Amino acid sequence: MASVTALLSSCGAITGGDDDVVTLDFWCWGDVQTARVDAFNASHPDIQVRRTDAGGGNDTATKLLTASRAGNAPDVACIEYQTVPAMVVSDVLADIADKTGPLTDTFTEETWQLTDFEGHVYGVPDDIGPMVLLYNKARFDELGLRVPETWEEFAEVAAEARAADPDTYMATFSPTEFGNFAGLAQQAGATWWQVEDRNWTVGFDDESSLRVAQYWQDLIDQDLVTAEPLLTPEWNNRVNRGEILTWPAGLWSPSVIYSIAEGQAGDWAIAPLPHWEGDSNAVALQGGSALCVTSNSDQVDAAVEFLTWMATAQESTDAQIAGGQYPASLNGQAATAESPPPALTGSQEDYWEVATEAAASTVPHIQWGPNVTTANDAFADAFSAAVRDHTPLTDALRNTQEEVVEEMERVGFHVTG
Amino acid sequence: MSGNSPPRVPSSGRGISKFLAPYVFLTPALVLFAAFLAIPVLYALYLSVHGLRIVDEGVFGLRKEVFVGFANYADLLADGSFWAGFGRMALYGLLAVPLTLGLALLFALLLDHGGSRARRFSRAALFIPYAVPGVIASLLWGFMYLPSTSPFSYLTDKMGLGTIPFLDGNGIYPSLANIAIWGGTGFNMIIIYTSLRGIPPELYDAARIDGCSEWRLAWRIKVPLVAPALVLTGLFSLIGTLQVYGEPKMLSPMTIEISQTWVPVMHIYRDGFVRDDLPMAAAGSVIIAVGTLLLSVGLLRVTQRRTFGGFQ
Amino acid sequence: MTETNPGPSRLRPTLLPHQRAKILPTAVLLIGAVYCLIPVAWIVVASTKSRAELFSTFTFSPGSGLLDNLHDLFAYEDGRYGQWALNSLLYAGLGSLLCTLISTVAGYAFSRYEFPGRTVLFYTILGGVLLPGMLLAIPQYIIMTKVHMVGSYWSVLLPGLISPFAIYLARVYADASVPLSTIESARIDGASEYRIFGTIALPMMLPGMVTIFMLQFVGNWNNFLLPYIMLSDESKFPINLGLYTLLSKGSGEPALYGIAIIGTAVSVIPLIALLLFLQRFWRLDMISGGLKG
Repeated sequence: MASVTALLSSCGAITGGDDDVVTLDFWCWGDVQTARVDAFNASHPDIQVRRTDAGGGNDTATKLLTASRAGNAPDVACIEYQTVPAMVVSDVLADIADKTGPLTDTFTEETWQLTDFEGHVYGVPDDIGPMVLLYNKARFDELGLRVPETWEEFAEVAAEARAADPDTYMATFSPTEFGNFAGLAQQAGATWWQVEDRNWTVGFDDESSLRVAQYWQDLIDQDLVTAEPLLTPEWNNRVNRGEILTWPAGLWSPSVIYSIAEGQAGDWAIAPLPHWEGDSNAVALQGGSALCVTSNSDQVDAAVEFLTWMATAQESTDAQIAGGQYPASLNGQAATAESPPPALTGSQEDYWEVATEAAASTVPHIQWGPNVTTANDAFADAFSAAVRDHTPLTDALRNTQEEVVEEMERVGFHVTG
Repeated sequence: MSGNSPPRVPSSGRGISKFLAPYVFLTPALVLFAAFLAIPVLYALYLSVHGLRIVDEGVFGLRKEVFVGFANYADLLADGSFWAGFGRMALYGLLAVPLTLGLALLFALLLDHGGSRARRFSRAALFIPYAVPGVIASLLWGFMYLPSTSPFSYLTDKMGLGTIPFLDGNGIYPSLANIAIWGGTGFNMIIIYTSLRGIPPELYDAARIDGCSEWRLAWRIKVPLVAPALVLTGLFSLIGTLQVYGEPKMLSPMTIEISQTWVPVMHIYRDGFVRDDLPMAAAGSVIIAVGTLLLSVGLLRVTQRRTFGGFQ
Repeated sequence: MTETNPGPSRLRPTLLPHQRAKILPTAVLLIGAVYCLIPVAWIVVASTKSRAELFSTFTFSPGSGLLDNLHDLFAYEDGRYGQWALNSLLYAGLGSLLCTLISTVAGYAFSRYEFPGRTVLFYTILGGVLLPGMLLAIPQYIIMTKVHMVGSYWSVLLPGLISPFAIYLARVYADASVPLSTIESARIDGASEYRIFGTIALPMMLPGMVTIFMLQFVGNWNNFLLPYIMLSDESKFPINLGLYTLLSKGSGEPALYGIAIIGTAVSVIPLIALLLFLQRFWRLDMISGGLKG
């Protein structure tokens, strides 16, 4: 009984430690963080970081909002780029613009814009996911398929693949992958949110988005792709049987496929994401997160020192690369040249060249909205219903638009157009 | 509530102690009740008439908590997806509740039936699902439903019938109800069974001598005598149905049938923790609580009249 | 309807001719038993499979990875699984024990005393049964942050100590098992109220307390929402939240599926054993007792 009491009382305490050592609380997911935080603590005796894994990107964001309102958010947290504006609107993040001046040169302009809004800086980019086409090269060779360079070719190859093996599909269209569709639409030129002087325009049903939706609609209608959620045991099985040939996704995708299909190590490769005929080969980003200081933190200087080290120190970016992340900083990206490719794509010699090329040609100025979570589940519900009931995906986009605008107006945003 | 009222405490020399004793005994429970039930409920009511609205500050605007009156309630009541959730919940409940209680009663009667064999084994086996947390149970059944891991679909597929669409279309309702039935039958069965064991056996002997069959015996004598147990299990199943959340939430990554607002509590969770709109979630919770109260009182009224009328 | 005494005192009548073993009732019972056992059997079989076998072999054919899986489970994050198990024992074990004591004392007071406010207080507390967990979780979280307890063991333990249903049950058990005449004669003998409760009433209510404890134990063991909202540090998670976390991460790192499956099997089996053992002490017949009359 006594030991239980001791156990309980030791946990109620807020923080401890010596006066001259600053303790930072840090929320971030992923195994890759353990090595990075350990290395930071070893090299910084005056700042000690305690990491908590508060779940994946969505769970962490959810908990951060609640904790922030209660006044006990951690000092630093990882936040996915698409969620950053929502966090700013809820006053979760601190503006660190006056402390990040020297950092801007270590990122491309497109990357830096992910956390810099009209001169207010709400975080430092940590990892990015430029989109590529991850494909099962062994199966491509076996079926005699060529790697598509444009989306038009992608559809043709999809038809050839179906003809060559009736169990095989070119890809999966997941009606719940908001970030993936967002990336494909942004590549085609979509602007879902724009803001100027707190006046928002919302364009889920703009021409580019409708075009992308119609494209996938046609592939689904012709039975050239499957339409189902990703990473279910069902889908994993298909991948293991070699029945899913490609996954257009962020650069982190090889490590995901590796974890469900270890046996296919070396079989896969990446290629530049197909582009639209006549368009440039610029791609959007899918996933990736920023390191942000919270408005609850009273250790801003130490926090900025920590996230600067995380985003730029070689020890840190090396650990990122080894863990399957693509660093956001230019010196981290340069270091990939000396790294071996991820296990899944182990036999692809030009892996990092393709990756660097994708990262160097990303579409500029991607603006996310203040209610991305609403948009995310409105999208997922509308697209799931469309796939289930065989109604047009373009209508689903219009429903998403309606729901997003309605909610923004209800809570008091100025929405025009 | 209790049949035999205790006598009034006489005020004698030790009366102070007798007078104070119940309050002393109740203190821990009342303090905890106030801290973790009463105050939270009041706070939820307070929260439900507030809202997070955007004010013109910062780069995008800032969310601030302001008083909005009954706007949250009005928004919810006008929200088609909230009501659609009630519809799906009702359909699910209409499958799950009668089947859970029906099976619980059936198995309890069979366990109490002299002719059944393997009773100890069956009782233990039927009770086992109670020990499996709901989150885990949903996951287990999820694997039983997915075509690639389902043993049932494996068999039908081998027979050339194709896989069973457990998670597609309207199949989702029986599949979800099944999880509730699996998890709930054993516990309800034990409640009914222990009540059956409490019936004096002499009651049956007379009926048997009159040539009453076992089934007639069960229907005419046993079921009416365990009616209070049935009402109680029914009440809990009803409350459980109104709060159903875990099962559809756990299955949602496996199927596109289940939306974020599939049942009312999922809607509330989404408002509160995905959209970060705690006031809206509080309003939704209050609506569910009022609904639960009305339904429970209604159920007790109706059954009390039918079940207990003859004895009063 | 009268209170009756179930259990050992009941005499089984000798079997009449038409009561001989019958195939139909036995078959129905066995079908029910098999139905209840299938998913449990599945998890046991699945926990023997290696990661590759999990999705590629017939679901009910045993695999070859049991020992590896066990090793992975206990090696995960330096024995985090063991920590979760201890946490669950703390939340469910200590929490239920305290809850049982608090409820028993309260139920006894409601049952065996008449005092101003009795009915109002009792029904106010009983009304708590109807409150959705979601309604309470949100303000409970905010209150816990106000007292700087959020994220601590207390934040999960304390709200679990009050259970309207347990108090209701304790009252029903006290009604049935502690005769007023016994209390009266103890009073005449000069025993204090506290002594009467401690030495006379408490032992009489013991079987009922076991039942309350078990119901609370399973309830707390299964409680998901409260720890999910209150805790962010994985080392304080109870076991089911830990397994859920493994699974939700599993969609990004499916290697964790295997750990979650063996973790589920390992966590479910002792609970089943405990329930089967304690089943004989249950007094569940009393649950509906209060609805009579």
